[in-house]
Amino acid sequence: MRHVLGVLLAVLLLGATPASAQAQKVKLGVLKLTSSAVIFLGVEKGYFKEFGVEPELIFFQAAQPIAVALASGDIDIGGTGLTAGLYNIVAGGVRIWVVADKGREWPDHNLTALVVRKDLYDAGVHVLRDLKGRKIGITQVGSTFHYNMGRFLEKEGMALRDVELVPLQSLGAMSNALAAKRVDAIVTAEPFVSRLEADTTGVPIVRTGDTFPWQIAVMFYSDRFAKDRARAVAFLRGYVKASRHYFDAVIRQRSGPGYEEVVALTARYTGAPAAIIRKGFPYQDRDGRLLPGDVGRQTAWWFQHGLLKKPVLEKDIVDESFLREALQALK
Amino acid sequence: MRVVVDHVSKTYTDRRGHSVPALHDVSLTVESEEFLALLGPSGCGKSTLLNLVAGLTAPSAGGVHLEGEPARGRSATAMVFQEFALFPWRTVQANVEFGLEEAGLGASERARRARAHIQLTGLAGFESKYPHQLSGGMRQRVGIARALAVDPAVLLMDEPFSALDAQTRQLMQEELLAIWERTRKTIVYVTHNIHEAVFMADRVVVLSRRPGRVLTMIPVALGRPRTEAMLGEPAFLAAVDRIWSLIRSQAQAALREGEA
Amino acid sequence: MSTRLPVPDRTRALERRGHPVVRVASLVTLVLLWELVTGTGWVQPLFLPSPLDVLGTGFEMLRSGELVGHVITSLRRIVLGFGLGALLGVAVGLAVGFWSLAEAVGNPLIAATFPIPKIALLPLLILWVGIGEASKVAVIMLGVFFPMAINTFAGVRTADPLLIRAAVSFGAGRWSLIRKVLLPSALPMIFAGLRLGAGTALLLLVAAEMIAANSGIGALVLNAQNLMETTKLMVGIVLLSLLGICSHWLLARLERLALPWRSHS
Repeated sequence: MRHVLGVLLAVLLLGATPASAQAQKVKLGVLKLTSSAVIFLGVEKGYFKEFGVEPELIFFQAAQPIAVALASGDIDIGGTGLTAGLYNIVAGGVRIWVVADKGREWPDHNLTALVVRKDLYDAGVHVLRDLKGRKIGITQVGSTFHYNMGRFLEKEGMALRDVELVPLQSLGAMSNALAAKRVDAIVTAEPFVSRLEADTTGVPIVRTGDTFPWQIAVMFYSDRFAKDRARAVAFLRGYVKASRHYFDAVIRQRSGPGYEEVVALTARYTGAPAAIIRKGFPYQDRDGRLLPGDVGRQTAWWFQHGLLKKPVLEKDIVDESFLREALQALK
Repeated sequence: MRVVVDHVSKTYTDRRGHSVPALHDVSLTVESEEFLALLGPSGCGKSTLLNLVAGLTAPSAGGVHLEGEPARGRSATAMVFQEFALFPWRTVQANVEFGLEEAGLGASERARRARAHIQLTGLAGFESKYPHQLSGGMRQRVGIARALAVDPAVLLMDEPFSALDAQTRQLMQEELLAIWERTRKTIVYVTHNIHEAVFMADRVVVLSRRPGRVLTMIPVALGRPRTEAMLGEPAFLAAVDRIWSLIRSQAQAALREGEA
Repeated sequence: MSTRLPVPDRTRALERRGHPVVRVASLVTLVLLWELVTGTGWVQPLFLPSPLDVLGTGFEMLRSGELVGHVITSLRRIVLGFGLGALLGVAVGLAVGFWSLAEAVGNPLIAATFPIPKIALLPLLILWVGIGEASKVAVIMLGVFFPMAINTFAGVRTADPLLIRAAVSFGAGRWSLIRKVLLPSALPMIFAGLRLGAGTALLLLVAAEMIAANSGIGALVLNAQNLMETTKLMVGIVLLSLLGICSHWLLARLERLALPWRSHS
C-alpha cells in the first residue's frame, strides 16, 4: 500500500514539474474568418514557435466576446475589429493594449461597402444624399459598420440622424433584410458585398477603403500578457514575420502559388470556399504598424456621439513599443 | 297544467356500445296543481323520467306532453337539482335571476321577481353572498328560489333534500309544502325516501327496479296542510307500510346485485 | 394501574409559518452582498456594477428621458401582443371547447404548432411582416396565444356538466351557455394561462427587441452589451425584473377582482 502511494506521489510531482518547463502557450482569441489569415499563417509556418511562443487558437463567433474574454483574463491576445464596446471596456478601467495592425480599410482593398437595394438604385438612388431619411441596416450599435456609416455621412456633410439605422445583428440577416426590402441599404462586408452585387439584390455605392481608409482591426494584449515583456515582444516578432509573408504573397502578388498557398491554408482553418476567401483578404501593413493616430480618431468620434462613456486617449490604449522592439530585433 | 307521460321507454347506450334499458313503457299523468312523488330504489330510472319531462333527454319510444293553457311569459317547467347546481360565480341574487335572464326579462323586472322569491324562500339578507358562503340548506333554498322565480307551470324536483342532514331536511320539507300551498304549482318530486314521499305528496308513483316500470300508484289520504304530527297517523303509516312491502323485495334484489 | 398517555400534535412538522422578517431580510442581504463585492472593488464594475451605480445610472437615464422611451415602447408592444394573443387564445379555446367541429379542426393544428418554440418563428415573422412593430407584436401574440387557447380549452372541458344541464334546463342557448357557464368555469384556468403567458411575453419581448430594434428594454440591454456598458445593461435587467413583478401583481389583482367567488372568506 505504501509503495502504491509512493508511486502515486512521484507521478503527481513529476507530472507537475515539466509543465512549467515546457514552451508556454498563449491563448489567442480570433474569429474564424479570412481576416485572420495572418494568424493562421503564423501558426502553420511556425513563425511564432520560432520565437518560443505557441499560440493556442480560441475561436469566437463575434468581435465583442473576444474583447470581454480579454478583459476577464480568459485569453491573453486578441485579434479582431475595433468596436465601441472594446473602447468602453478600456473606459471602464480595464487595461487592454493595442499592439499591431491586423487589417485596414485601404484604397483598392475594400472590406466593407454601403450597398443600396437594386430597385432603389434603378430608381435613381446613386449617392449617399439620396438615402436621407431611409432605413439603413448595420450589424450592431457600436460596431465597425456603425462607425463606417457615421463616417460616410460626415464625409458628405450629413450626420447619423439623417438616416434611420437598423441593427440587424448579423451579416446574413442584413442580406436577407435587403432582399426582402425591409431596409433600403446596408453596410456590409465581403464576401456579402460581392454576392449581393452578383445576384442583383443590391449595388454598392460607397466602398470604405476607397472613400476613407481606417484601422478597422488590430492585435491587442491583455494587461497581464503585456507585463510579460519578453513573451509579448516574442509573439510580435513571429507576428511581423507572418505579416511580411502575408503582404508579399497576398497583397503584393495577388495570384500565383504563394498566394494560393495562403488561400488553401485559410480555407482549411475557416472552412470557407476559396472564392470567398479571395474576396476577404484585408490590406495590412507589412511590418504590422498601426495607421498613425487612427485609434485616437475613433475613440474621439465614439465619445462625441455618446457611445463611449468616457474619453479614451490613444496613449491609454495603444502601445507600439512592443512592435518597435520586435522590429528592431528582427533587423 | 297536466303532465302526460305516454308509453315512454328510454334506453341508453353505454360506453361499450351495450343497450341499457332505463325505463320500460311508463305511462302516468300528473294533474294540475298536484303534488306527485316518484318513488323507487336507486337506479330505477326516476331521475331519467324527470329529465324526460324537463326536456333534458329524449324518449326512445312514446311521448311526453304538457297539457293546458299555453302560459305566456312563464316557463313550462323548472328544475331543482339534488346537488343544487348553483353557479358558483353568481351571488344568490344573480343565481335566482338566471332563469329570468334566459326568459328575456328586463333588469328591473328580474331584480323585483328575484327579490320576491328570495323573500319567499327565507333568503333575505343573503342576496350578495356566493354559494360557497352558504350552508347546504341555504343553497337549496337558492335552488328552489331560482326555479320558482321563472313561475313554472310544473316544478320538477330531483331528490332536492337528500344531500341535507335529517333535521334540515324535515324543516325544508315543511317549508316547501308551505310554499306550495301558496303557489299551487304542479310538482313532480323524485325521492327514494318512502316517508318523505308519503309526507309530501298527494299521490306516490312507485317505480320498479331497472328497467323502471310503474309498479303502482298510491293516493295519500292525509289532509292538508301537512304537519309533523301526521307522521304518526294511521293513514300515514298504512301508506308507508304498503309501499315498503311492495318494494322490499326489489330493494333486496338491488342489494344482492350490488354485493355481487 | 392506569397511565396517562399524552397525545402529541402530529401535525407540527407540517406547520408553515410566514417568516415576514426573513422574507425582507433575504432580499436586503442580497443587495448588501452585491454592494459589498462591487463597492469594495472585489469584482470589477465592468463585470458587475454596484447597485448604487445601477440606481444612479437608472436615475440619470430617467431624467434624460431615455428610460421612459424604452419602457413606453416595450409596454406598447407587450400590451398589444399580450392583449391580442390572450383575446384570440380565449376565443379559440372557447370555440374548440364547445363546438366539436371546431375541436376537430383546431386541436390537431394546435397540437402540431404548439411545441414550436415561438422564438424560432421570429426570423420567419420578420420575413413575413417586416422588422417593424408588427413582427415584434406578432411573436408575443403567438407566444401568449397557445397557453391561453390550451388553458381555456382545458377550462371549458372541466366545466361541471351539472351546471351546463342546469343552465339548459332554464332555456339557455349556445351563446348564453358559453358566456354564462363555460367562460366563468374556465376563468381560473384562463388566469393560470395569463400568468404563464406573461412570462412568455416578457421573454419574447426581449428576444424580439434584440433584433432590429432601436428602442425598447431588449434593445437597451443588447446595445448596452454591444457597447460594454454593463451598468446600463443592469438597469435593463432590473427593469425587466420590475416589469415581471408588476405584471404578476397586476394579474393577481385582476384575478381577485374577476373571481370573487374563489376567495374563501
